[in-house]
Amino acid sequence: MREQRRKDAVWKFLTYSFIIVMTIGMMVPLYWMIVAATLPQEEFIRFPPRLYPGTEFFANFAVLHEETQFVISIWNSVFIAVVYTALSVILCSMAGFAFAKYEFRFKEPIFYLILATLVLPIQLLVIPLFLMMAQIDWTDTFRAIILPWLANPIGIFLMRQNMKSIPDALLESARMDGATEFQIFYRIALPAMRSSIAALAIILFLFQWDLFLYPLVILEDPGNYTIPVALSGLEESRRINYDQIMVASSLAIIPMAILFLVLQKQFVSGILAGSLKE
Amino acid sequence: MARITLDELTKVYDPGGEAVVAADTVSLEVADGEFLVLVGPSGCGKSTTLRCIAGLEDITDGTLLFDDHDVTDYRASERDVAMVFQNYALYPHMTVRQNIGFGLKLSTKMTADEIDDRVVGVAEMLGIEELLGDKPKALSGGQQQRVALGRAIVREPEVFLMDEPLSNLDAKLRSDMRTELQELQQDLDVTTVYVTHDQTEAMAMGDRIAVMNAGELQQVGPPEEVYRHPSNEFVADFIGSPSINLFSASVNDGTLIGPGDFTYTLEDPLPVDGHDTVRVGIRPEDITLIEDGTNHATVTVVEPMGNENFCYMDLEDIEMTARVEPTKRPVADQRVAFGFEEEALYLFDAATGDALKTKTDDSTPDLHPEVSN
Repeated sequence: MREQRRKDAVWKFLTYSFIIVMTIGMMVPLYWMIVAATLPQEEFIRFPPRLYPGTEFFANFAVLHEETQFVISIWNSVFIAVVYTALSVILCSMAGFAFAKYEFRFKEPIFYLILATLVLPIQLLVIPLFLMMAQIDWTDTFRAIILPWLANPIGIFLMRQNMKSIPDALLESARMDGATEFQIFYRIALPAMRSSIAALAIILFLFQWDLFLYPLVILEDPGNYTIPVALSGLEESRRINYDQIMVASSLAIIPMAILFLVLQKQFVSGILAGSLKE
Repeated sequence: MARITLDELTKVYDPGGEAVVAADTVSLEVADGEFLVLVGPSGCGKSTTLRCIAGLEDITDGTLLFDDHDVTDYRASERDVAMVFQNYALYPHMTVRQNIGFGLKLSTKMTADEIDDRVVGVAEMLGIEELLGDKPKALSGGQQQRVALGRAIVREPEVFLMDEPLSNLDAKLRSDMRTELQELQQDLDVTTVYVTHDQTEAMAMGDRIAVMNAGELQQVGPPEEVYRHPSNEFVADFIGSPSINLFSASVNDGTLIGPGDFTYTLEDPLPVDGHDTVRVGIRPEDITLIEDGTNHATVTVVEPMGNENFCYMDLEDIEMTARVEPTKRPVADQRVAFGFEEEALYLFDAATGDALKTKTDDSTPDLHPEVSN
């Protein structure tokens, strides 16, 4: 009995130690990024490094803004990500609902075809997409950044799996109550899927927020740059401005962090939803 | 209110090219205001038939009439029917008030106030008015059941359809709700089709019961008639608890010869005329344990129920059940003699299962096992 308890305690200690080490490993770069954003360039490259924040954040930010119109980039990124997330959530939910709850010809092949597109890396799609956008004169526009990714295979897959957990009787009951198919979708299925939608929103927002190569190719006017594109510009200039990159990176994670904090409860239960058969 | 007519209604499922006939030319008429129970083992097509009436399944062949209107091709929402589902299917994100009012909101032009009046009225009728602000998750099974009923009642439909609505409740609550449902149906006087696999429920609730098996309608009639005069062996076997004792017997000049040296000479051999073998059926309550007789069986188990004893016996390899007075309590392995009246005897065609003879006694037997003394 006592032997067992000691074993448990040791295991617990080891588990917690492992988690703490992993957490520190993940937090240190984040902390260093924030500290570095507040240091003047000279201090940043000093050894041993300074591990507590300095006072130069706003000065660094002023330089950053001068060189890159970074505030506009933040606005661009937020605008694109929000519009994209809203539209894509609707589209993926509708597609997921159809795949989960309706019978139609070639349903399975179509679904697996959509899933199969996951094996295509973005790098492969960038050039053909750019050529298509150029043909319809959409280069250097936000819609060119948003539209091609609206039907997100991961989003469709996630929603299909979770929509499957909605009992058929619920939908049939609504049908008998006189609801149209679209009313069934948005009045019954969507509210029942709130947590999955939160998870989906975070996944889609993150996807668009981090999208780099494609906007880099499509966007020409620096006034249209998104954050990753603007960040890459810092590295390409005469010298690498670490302090500015750190300021920009620190700012770039704020919207993500806010979104996650707001939705984290739903996010976790949304990810778990559909993992157990009910 | 409406009369429902099913005319050779057929439903064929075709998953992956393999046709499954779930309902096979079912013809049935449900009178205006009648409470009809569709009963049968699982997979017999009773739920499919109900779903066809509801409009949740396309009808493959045949017609469905409400009064004289052909509603075969109508959508569920156009049929003016309300359905109570086995798992209640309450909308989880809506309050009880919204759940009950949802159908009215979507399918009528009533104002919010009018809807609310109706919802409150129905909630009062069902005794759930204090739950109107709660979400389904906060309710007990019985309360959820009432909300589901309320949702059906509030629309004042032509037809109620109920798909095993009591099967998720515990035994006590189930029998309470059974009575309540019947009273409610009588008050509202709405034509009701009720599906269950529980033959006790069917016997207790139905004005008439319709027994189905393998997609086919076996028999429709009042509970007593179906019990006393089953049209075939399946119906006899399915209706009645404990179930009827059945075994094969050869016919020799009006004498039945069965397993375990069972012999019985028919006073009226006419029903078995022209048959070499028949299936013999005797209800457990018609078997009496007697001091001395020609037929014997070996007792295996006796279950005392308080008001009666269930005596299980082996007639060679056939298990027989007898319902006997509580004072009769043989022990295991005891050889007992048993007897029965010929009026109580059922005989079925060995090949087709069709009834050759059913009960002919005039006395009204004890039909409901749970109210017997």
